[in-house]
Amino acid sequence: MSTYNYVVTAHKPTNVTHSCVGNFTGPQELNLIIAKCTRIEIHLLTPEGLQPLLDVPIYGRIATLELFRPHGETQDLLFIATERYKFCVLQWDADASELITRCLGDVSDRIGRPTDNGQIGIIDPDCRLIGLHLYDGLFKVIPFDNKGQLKEAFNIRLEELQVLDIKFLYGCPKPTIVVLYQDNKDARHVKTYEVSLKDKDFVEGPWFQNNLDNGADLLIPVPPPFCGVLIIGEETIVYCSASAFKAIPIRPSITRSYGRVDADGSRYLLGDLSGLLHLLVIVHEKEKVTGLKIELLGETSVASTISYLDNAFVYVGSSYGDSQLIKLNLQPDAKGSYVEVLEKYVNLGPIVDFCVVDLERQGQGQVVTCSGAYKDGSLRIVRNGIGINEQASVELQGIKGMWSLRSATDDLYDTFLVVSFISETRILAMNLEDELEETEIEGFCSQLQTLFCHDAVHNQLVQVTSSSVRLVSSTSRELRHEWHAPADYSINVATANATQVLLATRGGHLVYLEIGDGILVEKKHAQLKYDISCLDINPIGENPNYSNLAAVGMWTDISVRIFSLPDLNLITEEHLGGEIIPRSVLLCAFEGIPYLLCALGDGHLLNFLLNTSTGELTDRKKVSLGTQPITLRTFSSKNTSHVFAASDRPTVIYSSNKKLLYSNVNLKEVSYMCPFNSAAFTDSLAIAKEGELTIGTIDDIQKLHIRTIPLGEHARRICHQEQSRTFAICSLKYNQSSTEDSEMHFIRLLDDQTFDFISTYALDQFEYGCSILDCSFSDDNNAYYCVGTAYVMPEENEPTKGRILVFVVEDGKLQLVAEKETKGAVYSLNAFNGKLLAAINQKIQLYKWMLRDDGTRELQSECGHHGHILALYVQTRGDFIVVGDLMKSISLLIYKHEEGAIEERARDYNANWMSAVEILDDDVYLGAENNFNLFTVRKNSEGATDEERGRLEVVGEYHLGEFVNRFQHGSLVMRLPDSDVGHIPTIIFGTVNGVIGVIASLPQDQYIFMEKLQTNLRKVIKGVGGLSHEQWRSFYNEKKTADSKNFIDGDLIESFLDLGRNRMEEISKSMNVSVEELMKRVEELTRLH
Amino acid sequence: MGSWIVGDWPSFDPHNFSQLRPNDPSKKTPITYHPTHERTLPPPDQVISSEAKNILLRQFYQRGDEKLRPKRAAPENLAPEQESKHPRASVASSSEPHK
Repeated sequence: MSTYNYVVTAHKPTNVTHSCVGNFTGPQELNLIIAKCTRIEIHLLTPEGLQPLLDVPIYGRIATLELFRPHGETQDLLFIATERYKFCVLQWDADASELITRCLGDVSDRIGRPTDNGQIGIIDPDCRLIGLHLYDGLFKVIPFDNKGQLKEAFNIRLEELQVLDIKFLYGCPKPTIVVLYQDNKDARHVKTYEVSLKDKDFVEGPWFQNNLDNGADLLIPVPPPFCGVLIIGEETIVYCSASAFKAIPIRPSITRSYGRVDADGSRYLLGDLSGLLHLLVIVHEKEKVTGLKIELLGETSVASTISYLDNAFVYVGSSYGDSQLIKLNLQPDAKGSYVEVLEKYVNLGPIVDFCVVDLERQGQGQVVTCSGAYKDGSLRIVRNGIGINEQASVELQGIKGMWSLRSATDDLYDTFLVVSFISETRILAMNLEDELEETEIEGFCSQLQTLFCHDAVHNQLVQVTSSSVRLVSSTSRELRHEWHAPADYSINVATANATQVLLATRGGHLVYLEIGDGILVEKKHAQLKYDISCLDINPIGENPNYSNLAAVGMWTDISVRIFSLPDLNLITEEHLGGEIIPRSVLLCAFEGIPYLLCALGDGHLLNFLLNTSTGELTDRKKVSLGTQPITLRTFSSKNTSHVFAASDRPTVIYSSNKKLLYSNVNLKEVSYMCPFNSAAFTDSLAIAKEGELTIGTIDDIQKLHIRTIPLGEHARRICHQEQSRTFAICSLKYNQSSTEDSEMHFIRLLDDQTFDFISTYALDQFEYGCSILDCSFSDDNNAYYCVGTAYVMPEENEPTKGRILVFVVEDGKLQLVAEKETKGAVYSLNAFNGKLLAAINQKIQLYKWMLRDDGTRELQSECGHHGHILALYVQTRGDFIVVGDLMKSISLLIYKHEEGAIEERARDYNANWMSAVEILDDDVYLGAENNFNLFTVRKNSEGATDEERGRLEVVGEYHLGEFVNRFQHGSLVMRLPDSDVGHIPTIIFGTVNGVIGVIASLPQDQYIFMEKLQTNLRKVIKGVGGLSHEQWRSFYNEKKTADSKNFIDGDLIESFLDLGRNRMEEISKSMNVSVEELMKRVEELTRLH
Repeated sequence: MGSWIVGDWPSFDPHNFSQLRPNDPSKKTPITYHPTHERTLPPPDQVISSEAKNILLRQFYQRGDEKLRPKRAAPENLAPEQESKHPRASVASSSEPHK
């Protein structure tokens, strides 16, 4: 049963909601701080640009983010308020590099109606108080004392009930707010109040202004010397103060964000909903405002926040598109734009819909999202793991090893590719036509399997076979010297670098040679107790051609040993435990930290920190990469060195922020890999897999890869059709003409490889695409796209008319083959028992696919089920139908074949406003609702009474803190049936903030173990700002707050891997489980996403 | 047009962004912060909550305080109230001799 669920983030939120600039990390350091709903990011402004310092998870949804500086402080403090009425003040301790909590508070009221227009949090410019507008009719004040400490908060009654914005005015002897509000006749006004801290009340302020622009929505307080406030409307901008009133008309637009440019408040950047960036200028004479001017600068993403940084650089944070770093040029470009976009920061939000497909047919899911809104709408293809872009490939069976060689020591590029087979060695090289063809290196032995090859100093190459080591000139290709293994002691394994060779023969003999100019010198010999299984002398010290250490893996005692070179003294012996022999060892350095990697025959990988001077191995960690033996090789990409682990589950091992990360390579099975950097194929890899040799380039080394398909319109629904290899989307395009705004809705067909629009069906005026489905019907093998629509008439509360359109893809075109009018919006469509199940307003309706006499088809209504407020989300399994209602949570229906009827079987009687549902298994259903919670309900088939059986029991509750728009069964990673996590069912979800997450249903014992780990982690990993993890994850809506149950927070669990060794040991002790075991079990879970 | 307003952008440190290389692949993802220190908890006197009294009660108490205070304070402090009470007081005092 899927009762025990593990929720983890695969892609963090990218929707930028707030940003601010100030001296946070030091008095002389300028920082950009941005909020991405549940996280903040701290950046430092540097000559090289924005340098990201820290990504800080916040246990709350950020409602306010403000920097401020109380009197006497040398740097800014950060005020954060969350939607669940908590706030904290953070300070950066530069010495410890830690965020410390200056203050923590709860500003919730027991009674109070939460504001409709969101929470407002403001700080008096003279730091006398913090003001919060959280509930209608109340203004909450948190006063500062004269030492900058905060005191008990209190409420003041605010007469205005429909508040649009509140700001503090600058330059007032008493703290003064200006309130923009709407009266009960829908007219908008501003009013000022002084806050009397002594009387805990408002005093009428110095001025007011009635009857503003009906679209006035934003206040900008103006600092001294001008003071006063700017009121941004849809058609006018007004400057208002006690002594002046200036207004200018503007082109109709909805301004959502502003950024102050000058400290004296004379210029502001304004961002509107169509992505236009304007500069608003206060024209003044002798500190008196004489007028306003506005100038169009250019286009950006639709901005939710704008922060002027420095030297004409501006950060544009966006909720609807990618955030940007832009530069304001002094001269306009050819298109008249002053804006130059220099960097883009990917934002998937809002993910309105997505589908999981396997486009490359590699058995690995990719998520294709409908992302962004307005002009910034796009499709995003999100793929886990690293792709190999194939450049060339040849059929070659039985490859046993591969090495690339240069034709001269100083060559930039590799020339030869040595490919070894069981009883021969073949050499490939690039010819003049840049083709790979077979060649010869005369000095090499080609009748034997090559055990190892390497470039050597003095324009030489070295080849090791079972009988000898050959030193060959890379220019003349002739043999210069040969070292023969003693008779009866054939060489089993070997390794080399530019100046050294280490080999092992039968009987546990270890032989160390050094390479001179035309000579191989046997320097040392050691007899070990057991046979040797693998070796490595990759130089990781200062000399790139010489290693002081050798790593040796042993048969029989299953150990790895470190020897010093050249004297072959044993300095470290580490027993690996278990019965699986090490198959590959590698000395390597990531981000300057030396490691020893040791791969076992069963697909496990051990890594150790290596002390290069003492040879000591510490911090042993074990992960499971696959199930087959692994071969390790280093390669470099973009000047950084990484490790490729070839196995049944090829993996790239890399390091980020001094932590080793493992990223899947999107290939099924790789037996060998070697870097092959030839002139024709720069930075490429040669890969041996499944009877094939492939040369390809590798993607950027990162876990998730995101490809953007800009649409210029807003995609709202997506679905993939395997047969036609197409996607179909419902989208809308906003047309902003000078006279009127209108929107057009389309069904678009896209090629699933190129993502080009190949066909379009325009919907009627006022007709919205609500749902889309790929399906086929009983007695008809064709694949159809079914689209559900609604006619959204301005005068109707709910649509009363819609259509179901059935399309077939013919010659790459959408052909309408049937259409059926409905009595409402078709919110959902499902393939159901060879028929079509539609959710239409309050009703669930089943349609048969009927053949008419003339051979055409039509949808014919079969049966339905009433009784919903609005049936928005429907999932089916067998004859069961799970409905997510607008406000009546989840209900379970059943289709009765004999009676041709749909009946309700059970329902959840809670009043949850649903945003997505999914079926986890026969009995357990998952829901997401509009207070950012997840919950699971269970069918109670064994209930004693009808009443009990008719009730869906709530079994799991969890506050996700994200608005989920869609669940889909599937996985972002390739699932190996025989791996430990291969049997864990997973669901992917997409959210408004651009989060892609995974919900994994764990077996009970594993869940209990992880829950215990979570409890322990809560004690060790503290909530930033003192916010509690337990409270954050508790289920929360207007009616109740309940501890989370049967869900665990995978993000917290996986942060175990980021802890220092001491903290890990602390947890290990209280769990009574070894650190290594804990790491292995957590690492396994990270492989779910 | 507009060059007189589009330009002269403020500069706090002229070096900032001077060597910007857009889309530099070496740019790192920030470290995810997981505090394990004790100072995530605020100082004990900086755990803020809201005043328990609601606004109505607070106003009652405030009025109460104000009513108490003027008895000893000079009458000009609460002039309007005094005025309204004055006639009654004078009535009361003047009525006494009639009894």
